[in-house]
Amino acid sequence: MTPRPPVRAAAPALVQRLTIKIFTGSGSLIQRLSKGKIESAIGVTVGAVWVLCAPLFFICAIADFIDGGSDYLPLLIAGIAVEGAGLMVVRLSNFPSTLPVARLFAAVVSGALAALFAVTVAHLATGVAATLDVAVVEAAATITGTNATTIEPESFSLGMMLFRALGQWLAAAAIIVVLVRVLPHLGVGGLDADGGVATRSARRLAPRSGSTMARLMTLYIGLTGLFAIAYFAAGMPLTDSVIHSFTTLSSGGFSTRSGSIGSFESGAVEWVAIIGMLVAGTSLPLMFRALRRGDLHRFVRSIEFRAYLGLVTVVVISILAWSDGWPTLTSVRYAIFVTASAISTTGYLSGSSQILPFGGEALLLVLMLIGGMSASVAGGFKVMRFMVLGQYIGRELRLSIHRSAVEKIHLGRSSIGETALARIIGELFLATMIIVPTVLIFASDGLGVEGAFTFAISSISNVGIAFGAAWPLGHLNSMGAIGHLTAALLMVVGRVSITPVLVALGGIGEPMQRSLRRWRLTRHEGTVR
Amino acid sequence: MRRVAVTPVRVSGAALLAIAAAMLLSAVVAVIDGGGAASGLLVASLITTSVGAGLFYGSKVSPTADSALAFASVAWSWVAVSVAGALPFLLTGVIPWVRFDDALFESVSGFTCTGSTILSDFSSVPQGLLFFRSMTQWLGGMGLIVLAVAVLPALGIGGLELIASESPGPTADRLSLKVRDTARRLWLLYGAATVLIAGCLLAAGMSIFDAATHAFTTVATGGYSTYGDSIAHFDSILVEAILILGMLYCGANFSTHWHAATEGVGAYRRVSEIRWYLWIIFSAFALLVWVNAGELQWTENLRDSLFYAVSLGTSTGFGTSDYMAWMPAAQVMLLVLMLIGGMSGSTAGGMKVLRLQVVFRYAFRELLRARHPKAVIPIRMGRSTIEEQIAAKAVGFVLLYLGLIVVGGIILAGLGVDPVTAFSGSVSALGNAGPALGEAGPTNNFLVFPRAGRAVLMSLMAFGRLEVFPAMLMLVASLRGVSQIRRHREQLS
Repeated sequence: MTPRPPVRAAAPALVQRLTIKIFTGSGSLIQRLSKGKIESAIGVTVGAVWVLCAPLFFICAIADFIDGGSDYLPLLIAGIAVEGAGLMVVRLSNFPSTLPVARLFAAVVSGALAALFAVTVAHLATGVAATLDVAVVEAAATITGTNATTIEPESFSLGMMLFRALGQWLAAAAIIVVLVRVLPHLGVGGLDADGGVATRSARRLAPRSGSTMARLMTLYIGLTGLFAIAYFAAGMPLTDSVIHSFTTLSSGGFSTRSGSIGSFESGAVEWVAIIGMLVAGTSLPLMFRALRRGDLHRFVRSIEFRAYLGLVTVVVISILAWSDGWPTLTSVRYAIFVTASAISTTGYLSGSSQILPFGGEALLLVLMLIGGMSASVAGGFKVMRFMVLGQYIGRELRLSIHRSAVEKIHLGRSSIGETALARIIGELFLATMIIVPTVLIFASDGLGVEGAFTFAISSISNVGIAFGAAWPLGHLNSMGAIGHLTAALLMVVGRVSITPVLVALGGIGEPMQRSLRRWRLTRHEGTVR
Repeated sequence: MRRVAVTPVRVSGAALLAIAAAMLLSAVVAVIDGGGAASGLLVASLITTSVGAGLFYGSKVSPTADSALAFASVAWSWVAVSVAGALPFLLTGVIPWVRFDDALFESVSGFTCTGSTILSDFSSVPQGLLFFRSMTQWLGGMGLIVLAVAVLPALGIGGLELIASESPGPTADRLSLKVRDTARRLWLLYGAATVLIAGCLLAAGMSIFDAATHAFTTVATGGYSTYGDSIAHFDSILVEAILILGMLYCGANFSTHWHAATEGVGAYRRVSEIRWYLWIIFSAFALLVWVNAGELQWTENLRDSLFYAVSLGTSTGFGTSDYMAWMPAAQVMLLVLMLIGGMSGSTAGGMKVLRLQVVFRYAFRELLRARHPKAVIPIRMGRSTIEEQIAAKAVGFVLLYLGLIVVGGIILAGLGVDPVTAFSGSVSALGNAGPALGEAGPTNNFLVFPRAGRAVLMSLMAFGRLEVFPAMLMLVASLRGVSQIRRHREQLS
């Protein structure tokens, strides 16, 4: 069967050209600037993050100034400080000649921490966060796309509201870079060309990673624009439409109102949000190919997409079945809304005052843990990885009977390598090992058992809403500084992926480990002599 | 008489005969006590004996033996004894016939050494039945396994397959070249531990009946008590200290105990799992003391924290107070202990410390491989290296285990149980611990779960006791067995 010719349209082509220009322009700018004496990928990354995120401060300062807000000056000063610090760091650093995987991971983690620092500065400078821990957790929620906050959205100025929403949107854009450039080194989760998992939904679009990134960014920008228009058409005010389109497509979840999407009391707005959230949880390469060729059958052919939609359907039906009374249009919309919000890890809230059945709570929690499709901007462990784990368990069961059998795991037509399999399993266990102590910390810092457990899962999956007495968004307010900082750490770990964080930390501890090993091996030498 | 060659039927028959003997012994206790229930226990014993004898003598061992057949034998014998174990509760009238599933729940909870109960008024339950209830745990612990292994040579199939599939834990340490000798040694140790604990409890002031029943359930790490308020009834530090030591001993690997008994205490030092086991329990104890510091008096805090750290760390489930009044962090810690459980090769339930070790090493190895992609890194445990296949099996087990907890929790929550009770109930049932959190705390019984929920919990208990894989394979192997019989008949005709 010959592939369909690509659909040519002027607007996407223009956006793509612009995206490529921005990419190459910022890339060459950083390269020109980084001519320092210290050869450090971390230095270049931190400097680049600060230099490139400073315009965000300026845009939001201008918006706030036009709106007549009071935060434009602090934002401007903070932006200049961040830009200055970034320029200084990047001027002192230089691209290393070689970049081993461990250093790449360290650079990614330091980039995330640099963004966290910059956004924390903005929260402190504008005074929206009274203490450092609140500023850190608010910043972490912004850069990781988590809808967890301690502050009422109505108390923000337009500049700060836009800053947080744009922060979530840009962070998700950065995730696309991580998907293409970094996650392939983990074997899974990204656009993999290294012999790991390369399913239909997570495959490169072009041989060059730069081209792939530009195409995905074009799609991301285009969809954001489309949903801003859709929100507006559904009756949302213009500013709210723009801000919500940023936080919908990035699966971030921040809203302009404390009642989230539900405050608009509009079924049409909720339906737009539902579609937006489901789109945010869908694989970007899959969408790009399907839309470019006008071949929607690609969605049906993707086994991961089928599983993704299947999960949504099963959970919606279960919630409706476990609820009291017969389903109504409102209850159906509510069930679909909460399900889409959980699986896409957006964390929006619906306006419906329906009571969620206990079974529904349990299923939504599992959906939060699973998250969206691989190569999407959603958080969570990803649908594909759970499918692989299911296959692995099945294989182990079969091998218990046929002990000498040799069986390979397949996902659709793709075969999963043993290395990739081991990494998926390792990642899940590492996540569990991190979740358990954080649940203990949350439980000892003011949350109940249910609240602590669900908020830990919600934080690592970058959702934000959680169950328990503080449902839906009161968990951060129920905790103290230790809880806030732990939640911030968990959000960052969930967003960056656990392995890069631990590998980066291992890099710090490796010299120590080496000397400890040397000491262990040589400690008895004296007595032998 | 023409006998059908079906190994699971033969093994189930043998197991039923053992249960019938326990019922008979309980009937004797009931006669001595004079509190009734003797006739009910006797009738139950007769029914079980006749069915067991019919199954045992009406079948013979299949000429071919494979692992699937061994799995099926173990799993079906568990089903048979669980059903038979429900009879005394029904025939003595303690549980009415219309609540047959509750009697089955009590029986399954006993044979799987879980300790969850649906009984509320213990004073109205005859002592003979309470004795049988404790015996179900004792037999369900290691005794039944060892008995099954001991009769296996007579059955004619390679017993090691069975002990590998049934002994609680991922490894089966051969103490002797002969399976019969291994079984005999384990049985000896098990019996000696029971006698020793019973003797100590007697010396601490318990009655003979209480000492015997509590020794049965301690050595099996089951947790059934003859009183509604469990160990709190005795309010004795000495009793609690004896039980703590007993639970700690029986939550550890029995093979290691045998090695220590024959070669000296140094045998314990060679096993890294025991260090992890003690370290986990001690850390949990320290954390519980720290978390409860502001809530309880320090003597009460030390006493209750240590007791619960050991009781739930070995999946026994004895209680001395209501931990639901503790801080949420303490409750989370107890849930983690229920999840992990005791050592492999012990009577304890849970995921097992050894598997936790393997999973920890596995995850750490993957972390190292992410840093050094071309490195070849083996998984080490102490001084030895674990084969990839064994590690994969342990990892698969843990994944399936966690998956079952989630599935169980979702079903229970779907049936209207609040999520904390649902998920903790799922953890407790699969880990054969006994009490859970939420509404199913140590002072409540499991009637807080709906009828269908209790059926789910029963399945989870069975899955947990049979180490998940054999239980899952039971159906597969049984279906295969049925098709083999059909094929054989077709050939004969």
